[in-house]
Amino acid sequence: MDWKKFFIAFVAAFGFIFLFGFLWYGKLMHGAHQEVPALWRTEADFGNHFSTLVFGHIVMAFFLTLICARFVPAGGQGACATLAILVALIYAGADLITFAVQPLTTKILCGWIVGDLIQFAIAGTLIGAIYKPAPAHTTFVKERSP
Amino acid sequence: MKRFIFAFIAAFIFIFLWGWFYNGVLLKDVFAEAQSLFRPREEIMGLFHWIIIGQAGLALSFVLIYASSFAGGGIAAGVRLGIMLEILAVSARCAIYATQPFPARFLVLVSVGGFIEMIVTGVIVGAIYKPAAVRIS
Repeated sequence: MDWKKFFIAFVAAFGFIFLFGFLWYGKLMHGAHQEVPALWRTEADFGNHFSTLVFGHIVMAFFLTLICARFVPAGGQGACATLAILVALIYAGADLITFAVQPLTTKILCGWIVGDLIQFAIAGTLIGAIYKPAPAHTTFVKERSP
Repeated sequence: MKRFIFAFIAAFIFIFLWGWFYNGVLLKDVFAEAQSLFRPREEIMGLFHWIIIGQAGLALSFVLIYASSFAGGGIAAGVRLGIMLEILAVSARCAIYATQPFPARFLVLVSVGGFIEMIVTGVIVGAIYKPAAVRIS
């Protein structure tokens, strides 16, 4: 594994996931989240738990990069994005279960699912673009004349 | 394709039964501690089909990922995939913990159950689904 490229891909994925999460879930969906205020921590309490949010994003970016690097041997943006979208579908399944047991609105459910798909598709594309394994060594052998 | 469908059905049945037993029976009292964050029981039963669809989607995605990138590795590859996917789920739970007032104990116990669920799902899928090339050899 090319650890330098892996590290750059991980940092890029983390930067994107964190920024996207802030814009999509924190800003764009703020109004939808406020429709069920009893479900969320207060601003001050959220501030106290912010480090957990950052830690979660680091772990998410690291393992998404690891899955793409280890299991898309040929690399490439398309293949990594496809794998990342499949991972996002697992999140979407979990979102549906959460919707059934927690008093979320359908607007929140749809926002979370669409957000997961966009977030993982772009993060996978980024990882695929940055992490490309070095081409295999090619040995040329001169053919002997008969 | 036949093995893909078998793997999906087996994974879905396990995820459904484990979800019911672990979350519905074993953690019943732990869920009751955070009752204000959940729908009333009657409302959950009315939305039960979403749980089924969510679990089916989860099982299908697991088998799709295994078939696309892990197939041929057998049970060990299935377990590895399960562990990695559950670590990703734990990272999402960290975000939930930061934004929703769940007790930490609740999320730790749910994550323990999640690891067991994903590891056993990996064993099931790895044992059932084998790509054509592996079956021939």
